[in-house]
Amino acid sequence: MTYALAALLAVAAVLFVARPFLREPEARSDRLSEPDELDRRRLALLEERDRALDALRELEFDHRTGKLSDDDYRTLVGPLRRRAAQATRALEPRGEGRERARAAG
Amino acid sequence: MARRSNPARLVLALSVAAVLAVFLVYVSLAGGGTPAVQPSELGGRTEAVVLSGRVVGPVNSSGNLHRFRLRDVKGTATVPVRYEAGLPDQFKVGRDIRVDGQLRSGVFVGKPGTMVTKCPSKYVPKKSNT
Amino acid sequence: MAELGRAALVVCLGLSAYALLAGGWAIAAHRRRLAVSAQNALVAAFGSALVAGIVLVVALVRHDFSIVYVQRLTSRELPLGYTLSAFWGGQEGSLLLWLLVLTGYSTAVVYTSRRRNADLLPWIVPPLALVATFFAFLLVAIASPFETQVAPANGVGLNPSLQNPYMVAHPPLLYLGYVGLTVPWAFAMGALLSRRTDEAWIISTRRWTLVAWTALGVGQLLGAKWAYEEIGWGGYYAWDPVENAALMPWLAATAFLHSVMIQEKRGMLKVWNVLLVILAFGLSLFGTFLTRSGILDSIHSFTESSIGPWFLGFIALVLALSLGLLFLRLPLLRSRTRLESLVSREATFLYNNLLLVALCLTILWGVVWPLLSEAVRGEASVVAGPYYNFFLRVFGLPLLLLMGLAPLVAWRRASLRSLGGSFAWPAGIAAATAIVLLLLGAGSSPAGLLAYTFSAFVLGSIGYEFVRGTRARRAVDGGGWFGAFSSLVGRNRRRYGGYIVHAAVVLLAVGIAGSAYDSVKDQRMTRGERMSIGDYTLTYEGTTQREAANARELRAQVAVERNGESLGIVEPGKNFYPVEQQVSSEPAIRHDAMSLGDLFVILETANGDGSVQLKALVNPLVNLIWLAGLVFLAGSLIALWPDPAEERRLLERYALAPA
Repeated sequence: MTYALAALLAVAAVLFVARPFLREPEARSDRLSEPDELDRRRLALLEERDRALDALRELEFDHRTGKLSDDDYRTLVGPLRRRAAQATRALEPRGEGRERARAAG
Repeated sequence: MARRSNPARLVLALSVAAVLAVFLVYVSLAGGGTPAVQPSELGGRTEAVVLSGRVVGPVNSSGNLHRFRLRDVKGTATVPVRYEAGLPDQFKVGRDIRVDGQLRSGVFVGKPGTMVTKCPSKYVPKKSNT
Repeated sequence: MAELGRAALVVCLGLSAYALLAGGWAIAAHRRRLAVSAQNALVAAFGSALVAGIVLVVALVRHDFSIVYVQRLTSRELPLGYTLSAFWGGQEGSLLLWLLVLTGYSTAVVYTSRRRNADLLPWIVPPLALVATFFAFLLVAIASPFETQVAPANGVGLNPSLQNPYMVAHPPLLYLGYVGLTVPWAFAMGALLSRRTDEAWIISTRRWTLVAWTALGVGQLLGAKWAYEEIGWGGYYAWDPVENAALMPWLAATAFLHSVMIQEKRGMLKVWNVLLVILAFGLSLFGTFLTRSGILDSIHSFTESSIGPWFLGFIALVLALSLGLLFLRLPLLRSRTRLESLVSREATFLYNNLLLVALCLTILWGVVWPLLSEAVRGEASVVAGPYYNFFLRVFGLPLLLLMGLAPLVAWRRASLRSLGGSFAWPAGIAAATAIVLLLLGAGSSPAGLLAYTFSAFVLGSIGYEFVRGTRARRAVDGGGWFGAFSSLVGRNRRRYGGYIVHAAVVLLAVGIAGSAYDSVKDQRMTRGERMSIGDYTLTYEGTTQREAANARELRAQVAVERNGESLGIVEPGKNFYPVEQQVSSEPAIRHDAMSLGDLFVILETANGDGSVQLKALVNPLVNLIWLAGLVFLAGSLIALWPDPAEERRLLERYALAPA
């Protein structure tokens, strides 16, 4: 009885592990999907943009709560806006956007 | 990007150095802690030590004053111990304990409240003896 | 039955090893189906570990003393709840719990990452599988919980001091924490292996770390409560190596949870964050090693312990692999931004990291000092309370102060003038508190006074943050104060959850600093004799004995009065467990709602002549420590609560072209 249970467990485990091969005996593509160079660049830009946008939102709020003086706010807001805009432009689908960003940066 | 020397970096480096300095100064001033010894290593030493060993009976108790002997966990050397405080729950003959104190005219006088027995839930030696 | 458990563990070992090898091959050769198969193996390993766990539970419940582990840790007389808790009462069961929790976490990682981090998952599997393989190997080859024998009539029984409700919950929570730190490490290794330097790993990791960190924190507080109520010396933390073992990874994880924000917001500290993750995981392995190998009792027992050398070898392997991989990937981890100003949130976080890591490493130094000194000088030395308390003050008090400063400082840079405006309120509150406390005589302990002043500052600055934030929110959204408040917290759960956790740390600090004002009295008392301590007067009235299910209970009746007013009777005592042949002290604890402190009475000895040795302690503010646990949990849950909008955004960001 115990041995039957143990065998059952082993068989079930093997079946579950083999499932990807059983379900697709002949896969059209067996290659792992990995981000290529372009994906990585896009991801980096997306992160850059989101980081700048988050920082802007936070800056706005810190200014409103009084944590940042008007002067601090003014010196910080410009570069952040520029960075967010650059990243956004670079993310535009056409090549021209990317060119422009490169020229600007 | 050109790397200017950054004052922020300098201050941080100094802070790290300060933390390290606090540590080193304390360790060198306060010394290297209390020696941890077994009864056989006690010899005639009378400075404060942490003594560890196995309790050997009989335990003579009157009120809060307890007298017994401690033996090397692996060995035969023993030393009489005098301990005047409540005993930990786990204390009994055959248990391994640890107690701070010092040797006074041949008797190890334990510092009240410092006796600990080995934590019961932990570590089991190969041949279980509990 | 035992055969099934053993077989399940062998299957689990096979599956983990397969996940390691196949998963490794899959990422080396970029094989998709093989990678999925390795993930399935990890899930199946959880299934078989679960079977092994169920076998052990069934054996415990049925008092199957043919299994050595069951016989050694339980008896027929033991109540059911404690019989179940014997699962983790000994070494083999604890290791099984490790494996069970680890494969459980792995399964959760596999299923959540298939949705979120599909292209990172194949790289996370081999590190997880490596750890699972190690533990499964220990359980199969070195320390099996399913060793059998000819069944004796009864078992040895569970150590009475483990027969406590807190001891039922404390180890599993601690393990959820310890083991949970494997996940951030696996994510970090996966990111390095796949050369992914974007923030996908860090975004997933911070949540897993938060889960593990919360469990570890709550687990430690439960452990402290257990020590307080059960060990019965009137304290809750003794800087015991076993306690430090849990504190160290918690401190490292705390540092990581803070520095990770700098990476998210500024793209800085990438290498440092990986190092902290490695440190936290390394310390969690080291902690398990400390408690399990017996190395602390003496180096000699270490060489005798069955699993010690294996553990040490595995820790060395993990560190070598992690640091080696990090070194190989260093060129990818350069950050492009740098610290702009020392008056900025980033700078406070850097100092926080410095102090947390310094505290963590000094504790580590104290823990390994006996071994180091024996190796260097031939004689072991130990450091004790004073060493740790010194560094807790030197590094802990500035940390407390930073906790109040950080919320007032903006990211990037802030001018000192705007800082001054923010400071006025919290600093005023702190100063007022200090003056009042000085007048009340709290100056008897300068460190305590400083701790309270800083605590008031932190609470003031947190309160001020909430007020200012709510006001600003209300100015934007309009509506009532409550709506503005919940919108404030809802929009940035991590930040405001974090502030609540900070408030919990303040409560903890206040509670701990309260011990600077403890009073103790130890006295032999005959019937009718009185003892006074603090405002209390205790009168010893006699002893009684009762028979309970598995113990004989001796209780002393002690009448308590305060300022002439009777507060009833407390009953400190001792339990005698005949099966286990042991004594357990049962202190009487009387909570006082007004001072948040306890009157703690211990029956040390009952003498033949009817007199007793009583020890009484008045511990002011100690209940804040337990209250801190609840606040800590609440804050962590707020920070952990998923934010659907952010989830969607992240999903979009990291969704690549479909495979």
